[in-house]
Amino acid sequence: MNNAALWIGLVILAFAGVLFQQSTTYQYFGRFGPGPGLFPLWLSGTLGVITLIYIINSYRHKIVTFAAILPKGTGRIRVVSLFAALIVFLVAIRFTGYTVASTIMLFILLVREYKWYKSLAIAAAISVVVFYVFRGILDVPLPVNPFGF
Amino acid sequence: MEYLLTGFATALSWQNLLYCLIGVTFGMLVGVLPGLGPSAGTAVLLPLTFGMEPISAIIMLSGIYYGAMYGGTITSVLINTPGEAASAITCLDGYPLAQQGRAGTALGVAGIGSFFGGTVAIIGLAFIGPPLAKLALKFGPPEFFALMVLGMTMVIGLMGKSVLRGLIAAFIGLNLAIIGMDPLTGTVRFAFGVEELSNGLDFIPLVMGMFGLSEIILCLEDEMKAETPPKVRGLLPRREEWGPVTKAIMRGTGIGFLVGLLPGTNSVIPTIMSYSLERKLAKDPSRFGKGAIEGVASPETANNAYCGAALIPLFTLGIPSSPTVAILLGAFIMHGLQPGPQLFSKNPDFVWAVIASMFVGNLILLFMNLPMAGFWAKMLMVPYKLLFPIVLAVAIVGSYSVNNSMFDVGAMILFGILGYFLKKVEIPLAPVVLTFVLGRLIEDSLLQSLTLFRGDFTLIFSRPIAGTLLVLSLLIFVASVIAGLKNKKGALASDVEM
Repeated sequence: MNNAALWIGLVILAFAGVLFQQSTTYQYFGRFGPGPGLFPLWLSGTLGVITLIYIINSYRHKIVTFAAILPKGTGRIRVVSLFAALIVFLVAIRFTGYTVASTIMLFILLVREYKWYKSLAIAAAISVVVFYVFRGILDVPLPVNPFGF
Repeated sequence: MEYLLTGFATALSWQNLLYCLIGVTFGMLVGVLPGLGPSAGTAVLLPLTFGMEPISAIIMLSGIYYGAMYGGTITSVLINTPGEAASAITCLDGYPLAQQGRAGTALGVAGIGSFFGGTVAIIGLAFIGPPLAKLALKFGPPEFFALMVLGMTMVIGLMGKSVLRGLIAAFIGLNLAIIGMDPLTGTVRFAFGVEELSNGLDFIPLVMGMFGLSEIILCLEDEMKAETPPKVRGLLPRREEWGPVTKAIMRGTGIGFLVGLLPGTNSVIPTIMSYSLERKLAKDPSRFGKGAIEGVASPETANNAYCGAALIPLFTLGIPSSPTVAILLGAFIMHGLQPGPQLFSKNPDFVWAVIASMFVGNLILLFMNLPMAGFWAKMLMVPYKLLFPIVLAVAIVGSYSVNNSMFDVGAMILFGILGYFLKKVEIPLAPVVLTFVLGRLIEDSLLQSLTLFRGDFTLIFSRPIAGTLLVLSLLIFVASVIAGLKNKKGALASDVEM
């Protein structure tokens, strides 16, 4: 069960399966020509078949375990911090606006590398500059809080 | 000629010159700085071009593409770490030259070769492009379908160590591409009630996630130390070295140009081929790996010649030959331009301005490299732990700016995580992006062909060009499978994400 290729194969297979099932609900060929289901049916079907072969192959050759491909030690902490920071950002931005959410996200990423006050300063500086460039210069309406940032 | 001169007039306007300068400078940075390849660099800067004129936007994005090829050399020579994959082979002789105190010569020769190779390829584009586009104008939907299948087969066959994994990647991209509206009937497919999916997935979150975020995650696994580069002095080779260097540059140009014309290749292939050729032709092959100047000149020339030549299939047939070119294709579409045979006839001002800007960009890069190599070397002292938060912040805002929607940011993150795991099990990402871009076009041409043939697909073989291209695709596919089974794909099939 620790076979990484198997699990990734299963995720792809599930994706192909959902698309295949949906494709069967669309018209395959109509009165005037090919329907919306024709191309997706073949594509998802083919993806499903080759993924099955891939899964079978993953057992026949050397099994790649999650332990072998995932990082360890500091690398793992950094990667997990990144995932956590991204989730925090996605949740926080609804309430705090871009600048604060981005500062929190970058602070989480930087705090292991620099002292906390330096991390905060760098995170805030990057967020403010990016906010200014995109909202101020490029007119991208980034989400803001009631204070306008 | 008249069009080219008009192109120069447009490219030399102060505004376009500025965008070209920004593009090549950013490209140099992308090449020099670790953990950011040309694909990610181009993708990150893509949203910044939304408000720009199409000509200026493509001038800037092309500048990143070929600028990165120059920049990648610097890290290979000075710290034995390629800034981008195409410069990996330069480490073999570039770094020993730097250890001998000849870093300047290695960078100088690479700069001159890159300029020559890049310029010849652009001349090739200017001369080969129009007749090829004229020929392709005779193509109907069946021919285009067959051509795109051929391009896709070459991508699957050449990229990645395994045909099976290449196929999976290609079909993931194709399946993602069909989400959204059906081109013939307008039926919304696979939206699952999500409004944002009804128009299909956007290209930018996908590319930013697959190439940008996944690369950041991978780099976080390693040590994040900044390097102190050696000093750069004396940029020109010795008198007796000019002869072999010139010949190496010529050969590198030829190889890079020819490989660039083939869809599905990447810029690593011509560098390996040209390095091997130089070694074979050398009177004393034992010098290679110990600081042979031809070992730097030829591959560096080849990768820049490749970059220019790779634009020929894009401009004339609308087929991207590498992921970075696929991003350029996405940028064309975003700015309302359809790459392909009609581009030369419908938008000559645009095409020739971009071609002219590449001449200008290569010249700017030559000046940026020769006298300023030491300055770029100092960029290596920027630590990655400071760089990646900046890239991440820009990538997030860039994805958001496509539709001003957090949905795209979520999609970017999802694709980043997907890309990370796919890389971990050695499923190449390049075919995902290439087929995602081509997916809609393939479906369009297939459905039109089937309508034409009243649903009988076999009639496609009654069209000589389409039939030949499909048979060729089949042969390439079979050959790739056999090569894969015999494990003969070797170095040319390295899982390079360029």
